[in-house]
Amino acid sequence: MTCAKTGFIDRRTLIKTGLASAALTSSLSFTRRAHAADGMIRIGFVSPKTGPLAAFAESDEYILAGIAAAFKEGLTIDGSTYGVEVIVKDSQSNPNRAADVAAELILEDEVNLMVVSSTPETTNPVSDQCEINGVPCISTVAPWQPWFFTRGGEPETGFEYTYHFFWGLEDVISVFTEMWGQLATSKVVGGMFPNDGDGNAWGHPELGFPRPLAAQGYNLIDPGRYQNLSDDFSAQISAFKNDGADIVTGVMIPPDFTTFWTQSRQQGFTPKIASMGKAILFPVVVEQLGDAGHNLSSEVWWTPNHPFASSVTGQSAGQVATGYTEATGRQWTQPIGFAHALFEVAADALARSGDPTDYDKVRGALAETQLDTVVGRVDFSSGPVPNVSKTPLVGGQWRLGGDFKYDMVVTANGNASDVPTGGSMEAIS
Amino acid sequence: MSLSYTVQRSTRASQTSMSLTVVILIILIAAPWWAGRAELRLMVEIFYYLALAQMWSLLAGYGGLVSVGQQAFVGLGGYILFALAAFGGVHPIMALVLAGAITALIAMPTALVAFRLQGAYFAIGTWVIAEVFRLSFAQISALGGGSGMSLPASIVKSIASSRAGREHLVYWVALAIAVAAMALVFFLLRSRWGLAMTAIRDSEPASESLGVETYRTKFIVYVMAAGMTGLVGALIFLQKLRISPDAAFSVQDWTALVIFIVVIGGIGTIEGPILGTIIFFILREFASDWGSWYLILLGGIAVAVMLFAPKGLWGLITARYDVHLFPVGRRLIVNEEKSK
Repeated sequence: MTCAKTGFIDRRTLIKTGLASAALTSSLSFTRRAHAADGMIRIGFVSPKTGPLAAFAESDEYILAGIAAAFKEGLTIDGSTYGVEVIVKDSQSNPNRAADVAAELILEDEVNLMVVSSTPETTNPVSDQCEINGVPCISTVAPWQPWFFTRGGEPETGFEYTYHFFWGLEDVISVFTEMWGQLATSKVVGGMFPNDGDGNAWGHPELGFPRPLAAQGYNLIDPGRYQNLSDDFSAQISAFKNDGADIVTGVMIPPDFTTFWTQSRQQGFTPKIASMGKAILFPVVVEQLGDAGHNLSSEVWWTPNHPFASSVTGQSAGQVATGYTEATGRQWTQPIGFAHALFEVAADALARSGDPTDYDKVRGALAETQLDTVVGRVDFSSGPVPNVSKTPLVGGQWRLGGDFKYDMVVTANGNASDVPTGGSMEAIS
Repeated sequence: MSLSYTVQRSTRASQTSMSLTVVILIILIAAPWWAGRAELRLMVEIFYYLALAQMWSLLAGYGGLVSVGQQAFVGLGGYILFALAAFGGVHPIMALVLAGAITALIAMPTALVAFRLQGAYFAIGTWVIAEVFRLSFAQISALGGGSGMSLPASIVKSIASSRAGREHLVYWVALAIAVAAMALVFFLLRSRWGLAMTAIRDSEPASESLGVETYRTKFIVYVMAAGMTGLVGALIFLQKLRISPDAAFSVQDWTALVIFIVVIGGIGTIEGPILGTIIFFILREFASDWGSWYLILLGGIAVAVMLFAPKGLWGLITARYDVHLFPVGRRLIVNEEKSK
């Protein structure tokens, strides 16, 4: 940099130097860590902390604080005690960045185990990097089909290092049809499937919704894949209206669903049931609809009423959720349980590995996981394809009232009868 | 008093720096023996951003072609690599080279469309073209449609027999691409095309009236930059292992960040993108975990540089010290002689 000649440049130089040193010190305080000596286990965690998927990562800090407290004394493996360190990287909701930070965690931080959460756009690039680098990886919060098949998985062989627990499309189909069966409808269903990882899987003619719905006597109107962040759904709405659809379903991103639902009401399309995946997982999205969110239904992966408890802290699902509300003042969300369970599965596999610094031993222990977690049982030997374990899925409706503006009421539990229902389906008025 | 003139290309500083460049290059070629796996991977990333920045600087800084659609060619290169390697059975390194060539071919009809637009309209037009490519690839279900696809592990492993061999080979390919991108700019600018390009940048009608073949010059530069960008794109997605339309045709990753690098480094120089790339990676190493604040910081720096140093940080350096590491310009030396 040039020497300061005038007061003006002087000030600028000062500001620049100041910024640079501020950048230096604050990064030292929370991103860099001393390369730990032996006896330290490093877990890499990739999560979309910023960007459009940030709502999924909202509870990360609360979960990590709980995990840090639980492993304050370290993890005892085969007689030796190891410290546990979780290194968190932000994917910025960008699959390119997710691949990069995963490679950084593997090569630079030399993590012993990777965990990753939230949508195929985050889980898949991270799993791919782990598979090729031979690092064990646990992923969740993406239906297993888009995780398994779009990564080129073969049902006979599966993957070597990457494991996944969540539910699948067959579960969401059975939950949705169970909810629809509770009300008298025309059995005509409008389908809103975008051209993205989830939309293509849900709308897939063989593996997705079309075939099972036809088998159960539903007439699915599928106007075709639309691009995310569209601002006009009139064509779809008029197709649904003309065919007399009483039900709409799909897997929309939140801003698109808000647009679609507002336009539906403006254009006089009033289905009795709207069962939407992904869009209305978070109460904030439903609140944005004002009172028009009442009785919208969606898949429910986890609630505080799920009869499960953490294998690490012993807390019940309800205690984990209440703790979150107490810590942040915000309503519980479904990813909380899964973020916690990721670390349960990780700790369990590390503990059984014998040597947590050996990737293959950790992988071997991971493959043999049989663990009751706060989201249900995780068992990779019992999945529909290798490397996958399914967790129970129920369905529910958002209802006005209660402690927060909307409360989630479970209305269908055919897949998981141990999860209590809170009522039965009500038609949208 | 009579004056005599000599035209000089290189200065002593640039001669020194050329020999220094050779030394640095040898050190970089030897990197697999002195750097770890993480450093190698980081350097691959630095090399591909450097190559992208050189190409954008060539287009905008010399050719006056301000494109915000270079992600079109990054994405094309990446998708062609995946298609050739996964379905054509082509060796990934071979597929990389083919991807560059095919991208250049596709850039030809693209140029015919884009060149009907001028200035700001050209910029928007290139972006629209990139979006068209993104939406088109989202419709190709063999390549995963909107969901994208992963490069099968067996194909990645076929690059070389061992993991180290694979990583070293990819590193050398990346280094070769970065060097090739810089060599392309260097030799192009020293040729008559370079002179024609700078003339077009300064005034297209004036250069045309002086006999410069403006259309052909722009066309050739655009297609060459596209081919090189496609090659880089193939390398990028060979590293990422997974491609999807949003990732491949990301305006933020492959154009906005590249413009940032060129703007802070110094547009229209070879040294500027090098300096810009170094600064960008230093910032990213320190600040990328700050979430939104990191992006705000990048934006703030770009605005500050544009306001206070429109020629970038390298422009500040040359204004003060008159150094040119890569001699592409010509300078007129006036020798004053006393006559009797």
